[in-house]
Amino acid sequence: MTGAVGHTAVALALALSCYGVIAAAVAGRKGSAGRAWHASARGAAYAVFLMYAVATFTMVYALVAHDFSVKYVAQVGSRSTPLFFTVISLWGALEGSILFWGFVLALYTALVAYGGRRSKQADSQRTYATATLLAVNAFFSLLLVKPANPFAPEFPVPLDGPGPNPLLQNHPLMAVHPPLLYLGYVGLSVPFAFAVGALLAGREDEGWIRETRRWTLVAWGFLTLAIVAGMWWSYEVLGWGGYWAWDPVENASFMPWLTATAFLHSSMVEERRPGMLRLWNLCLVVATFLLTILGTFLTRSGVLLSVHAFTRGPIGYYFLGFIALALIFSLTLLAARADRLGRGQGRLDSAVSREAVFLVNNLILTAFTFTVLLGTLFPLVAEAVRGVKVSVGAPFFNRMTVPLCVALLFLVGVGPVLPWRGIQPGVAARSLLVPSVGGLAVALGSVLLLGVRDVYAVLAFGFAAFALLSNAREFVEGTRARRRATGESWSLALARLVRANRHRYGGYIAHVGVISIAIGISASSTFRQEREATVRPGEAVEIGPFAVRFERLWAREEPHRFVVGADLAVLADGEPAGRLDPRLNFYNTSDQAITTPAVRSRAGGDLYVNLLAFERDGSSATLHVIIEPLVPWIWIGGGIIGLGALIAAWPEGRRRRLIRAARRPGADEEGGDRPPAHEVASAVAHGAVS
Amino acid sequence: MMLIRTLPALLLVLAMAARPANGSAQTPGPAADSALEAATRELASQIRCVQCQGLSIQDSPSELSKEMKQIIREQLAAGRTPEEVKAYFVARYGEWILLDPPARGLNLAVYILPILSLLGGAVVVVVLVRRWTRPLGDAGAPDAGAGP
Repeated sequence: MTGAVGHTAVALALALSCYGVIAAAVAGRKGSAGRAWHASARGAAYAVFLMYAVATFTMVYALVAHDFSVKYVAQVGSRSTPLFFTVISLWGALEGSILFWGFVLALYTALVAYGGRRSKQADSQRTYATATLLAVNAFFSLLLVKPANPFAPEFPVPLDGPGPNPLLQNHPLMAVHPPLLYLGYVGLSVPFAFAVGALLAGREDEGWIRETRRWTLVAWGFLTLAIVAGMWWSYEVLGWGGYWAWDPVENASFMPWLTATAFLHSSMVEERRPGMLRLWNLCLVVATFLLTILGTFLTRSGVLLSVHAFTRGPIGYYFLGFIALALIFSLTLLAARADRLGRGQGRLDSAVSREAVFLVNNLILTAFTFTVLLGTLFPLVAEAVRGVKVSVGAPFFNRMTVPLCVALLFLVGVGPVLPWRGIQPGVAARSLLVPSVGGLAVALGSVLLLGVRDVYAVLAFGFAAFALLSNAREFVEGTRARRRATGESWSLALARLVRANRHRYGGYIAHVGVISIAIGISASSTFRQEREATVRPGEAVEIGPFAVRFERLWAREEPHRFVVGADLAVLADGEPAGRLDPRLNFYNTSDQAITTPAVRSRAGGDLYVNLLAFERDGSSATLHVIIEPLVPWIWIGGGIIGLGALIAAWPEGRRRRLIRAARRPGADEEGGDRPPAHEVASAVAHGAVS
Repeated sequence: MMLIRTLPALLLVLAMAARPANGSAQTPGPAADSALEAATRELASQIRCVQCQGLSIQDSPSELSKEMKQIIREQLAAGRTPEEVKAYFVARYGEWILLDPPARGLNLAVYILPILSLLGGAVVVVVLVRRWTRPLGDAGAPDAGAGP
């Protein structure tokens, strides 16, 4: 019964999205004359979302009720799995994850359609965007109806199921990482849809950027949080003390993030310099979308073995077909509209400008994406060409990308200081003096005081300090200038400054988050210490200032697994400093033990202990102990980036929009050509700051 | 009922634990950390774990990886160079066992293409910036460069 309901809902979604594509396309062509068609297309989008809501709810119900007559439930359900993990097993395997994808996509589509409900003149761009999203919806609905049907009937009906993959049951972050990932990943379809919409509507102005940017920020923000949450999960669950292995699925989520980041920057250039980089920005958006579909293909088709790879089968061909179709469609559209894209009219006073910095930023991010893509796909290529299996693993990626990351870190410090259009190098040097001195001091300090020998680590620490100081300087100078004009207190001036320039300062906050992550990664790799030892009760493993003493082994039985743990006492410099209990979990349904490492987190770093093996009589345990300095700053940095994205994307109040429009017709919320902090004082004197 | 369900898990636990915990004779004691260990770790992080998805044997907690790491340790202690140890593994498992594709033949593409793309892109950036800073209506004059 439940299976039939769910399957019907998805089939209806397929039909409705096909209809919606047609309705929206007609509406777009007719323009203002097609009001009814616009309404109909919107209705189709809402109806598709409703169908997906029904299907998703039905699946969750089937999972919780242990309805094993539904194929997906028979695949991942189990009576002994705790309720929490039963619910989140919705996205634990192939078909369920595609259903969830469809749900998130339908949600975004409905929101995009809803946003156009009040347009007086029918907005062709938005209509075509809705059509594009509905077309993508149709693809995923097709997948759910045919090759990846989670609602297929399972006969004979089993009494119990194997439960979700044990790796997915071990940590609550599994509730957080996939939804965030989907909100981000799927959300990147929206900028693509708007780009297509703008091209189809024959739009020649920069309006498409304005519409697209907020959606991109939202999706990018979620994707950032998702990637960091994934790193955190990997760190807390997989037991090797690392957080990034350049696994194909990690790369799949990272590549669209890189291109989206590039777009967030270069779109600012296009907005201020109409025509500049328009073709490039369109290509970036298309590439981002194609990378998300490619990423889904890589993880869902099992073509590259990975922790995440779910299954093989015909589904891979569907994805390849869709990618090919989307690529051909986008290229054709770009070529057809190439004449309307115009030539860049912008001029710079000097090469030392923010535009130039953003160009270099895009260059590095694009090269980065290309490197990761090449490395990820190369094993396939090599096997096809030479017939020999080849691995491209972490050492390769680290070697090729660390220099790029370090260069980006430098740009994070330089960009905020250089104004649009350019500045004399002498003036730039003056603004960068304090950050440069700070960066140099930190770099020297790391070599002389901390004994760092790796060139890239020294550069990373130096540039991190440099970038931190220069971004902080923007806040300080901006607040100071505002105080001079308004006499407000420091905190009030700062708050009002940020509120008046959400995009700019949200961006700087995101920069701080990136710097935090860079520091966390550099410190935890450069200063990492580890030790592995077999100890008897009472013996301790010594590492750095810590001694980890093994006291006893314990075991516990739970409905879905058997847990063995080690009771450890931690001493720091001889003083008691807490306890740790790393465990090994043996699930009924799997023959691989899943580790739960014990982590003692402090701002300065983590003490990480993994239980590798033990004697059954508790007479000894093998422990892997790692000191990871500054690792928490990676997770904190992720949160800071999310905060920055939130502030940047937050819509302005109506009052502020009206003030800005009155003062400067057509000005966008970023204030157009706002000069950098050191020129704000004179602008303030002329009442430009509200 | 509970016993029947527990039994497989229990047997599994016993089977796993019955092996001496990670070879007590092989793992260094709690305090040992020498140049040999560092060299072993370095090499182990370049060799792929056979059972895992892309992890190195340094990072993998599996038994087989531990044994492979021990082989590395022994060979290094016996005076073999890292290259010889790598060749030993490649002879047994194929090129696939190295996490870094050897820079030969087709594999060169994966090392060179990214660098070429970076250089090519850099040329594009320089050309663009020069075009943007050229004074208007002054196509032939030397560009303004870094400003007046």
